[in-house]
Amino acid sequence: MNEIMAIAGSTWRRILRMKVVYFLIVCVWILIGSAMNYDILSLGEEKELMIDVSLLLNTIAIALIVISVTFEIPRELHEGAAATMLTKPLGRTQYLVGKFLGSVITAIIIGLIIAAGFFVLFYMVFGEPLIISLLQAHLLIIASSIPMTAIAVLFSMILPEMITPIITAIALWFSFSTSHLAKYGFMKIIYGGVLPDLDLFNFKSAAMITAGWSYVAMAAVWGAIFSVFALTLSSLIFRFKDIK
Amino acid sequence: MEDFVIRTENLTKVYGHLFWKKKEASLEKLNLQIPRGSVFGFLGPNGAGKTTTIRLLMDLIKPSEGQAWVLGQPADNVKVKQRIGYLPDGPSFSTYLKAYEFLNICAKLLKIPSSERKKRIYEVLDIVKMTEHANSKLGGFSRGMIQRIGIAQSILNKPELLILDEPLVGLDPHGRQELKDIINEQKKAGTNVFFCSHILSDVEKICDHVGILSRGKMLCCGALTDLLSETGYRLVIKAGHDDIMQKFMPEASSSSKLSDGGWELVFKENVEVKKSIDELKREKPDAITYHPSKENLEDFFFRQIASTDKRI
Repeated sequence: MNEIMAIAGSTWRRILRMKVVYFLIVCVWILIGSAMNYDILSLGEEKELMIDVSLLLNTIAIALIVISVTFEIPRELHEGAAATMLTKPLGRTQYLVGKFLGSVITAIIIGLIIAAGFFVLFYMVFGEPLIISLLQAHLLIIASSIPMTAIAVLFSMILPEMITPIITAIALWFSFSTSHLAKYGFMKIIYGGVLPDLDLFNFKSAAMITAGWSYVAMAAVWGAIFSVFALTLSSLIFRFKDIK
Repeated sequence: MEDFVIRTENLTKVYGHLFWKKKEASLEKLNLQIPRGSVFGFLGPNGAGKTTTIRLLMDLIKPSEGQAWVLGQPADNVKVKQRIGYLPDGPSFSTYLKAYEFLNICAKLLKIPSSERKKRIYEVLDIVKMTEHANSKLGGFSRGMIQRIGIAQSILNKPELLILDEPLVGLDPHGRQELKDIINEQKKAGTNVFFCSHILSDVEKICDHVGILSRGKMLCCGALTDLLSETGYRLVIKAGHDDIMQKFMPEASSSSKLSDGGWELVFKENVEVKKSIDELKREKPDAITYHPSKENLEDFFFRQIASTDKRI
């Protein structure tokens, strides 16, 4: 476990040292806060607009953190930094799990920071205290980082370095759009097979089936199970991969 | 205890994917046995398969055929890596980390107890003369500094076996000398060293065993003293015996004046000269010293490589 945490720690440190992460958080807060100024455009629905903007931007911020994994792993493999680590008593699976955990923890913390900023702004503008259903919505989005990262790790193993981030971004879009794509039967084959059903983490879908804490917990557990499946597959592929 | 620190049996590597393989093997049926307590120099021209061999030994790539054992364990055994130090060719580390942080991660992976970690990290930083850069980011380091950090991480665990792939590349003459001293220190401490380099004069000074690889095949392997053949004599004439120098000078293939005023003459294998030197040694034993002169590693290396090229 110490080996996994050592790799997770280095991944976490890398993301935290990227100045763009702080810029992203500040931009997201500014965009959420500025939603209150769109009362004319939103026809008096500025509160709903602010909620929607916060959920959307939190999803995008987490997706960007996750996509950074698809740069990080192939780059480390290509430049030889991974090779140095793997010549220590560190299994290949441990390396992958470490990378996965480091990214997930970072995505969760950044998601929580953005959500906290939103609740502060929401209270300042509308004077309303913490709304539980909104907290659940943000937690669902944060939990979606688990299967998203797992799919990013898997694609890092099977796709060429240049196209991995693009394909991952497209796959995440597909995965968030399952309720719409379900109308087209053949799409089920794609997301039903390899890609996670990230619509499970979509608050609007969840609201239709009376979202509650149990739903948030179930979605998180489902994400964890999918991640185990995706990481097992990644590990099997990585085991036979030649490392530069 | 296994007598060999490294052993390979028919180790072969053909690069490529499942459905597409290169026609020529990068490494072909390598059988290598490196005895304990040796400093082994692994030589060969570019593309000979040296780095491929090292990557196979470190389990970074998988063999197409054959097997390798390191310190008596199969090369894919993760635990055995705790007893190995490895410096890759042109090391590349995570540039966002500071030198201390990077070594700390390595120390954690090597299971160095947390109470000893800091002390050991500063010890190795001191050995490679990088203590003052402990809190600088690796991204800002020059190639020579990265090489030094690479050496530091390779000796962090006081390894039983140190595998160095082109360790002298990127270092200035001073740095090269320091690294040679480090290797000698490791040798004295009982570390087995597997050393791959293009700088033959350094290999000759450091190593006691060598192996020469060309086009993926081992040409020769063994103790340096056994491999290098005797090619003549080296006669050292003490100062004040210029008459001896004048007598032998015409037969010498090379001569040089020593700092103490004496002379050193080198002769090629010649029965007559040998006889004259033996007579002189009996007559004036204090005036000269002589010993057989051996072929140097560079000549031996080029002779081996040329013989393969002729065969091809």
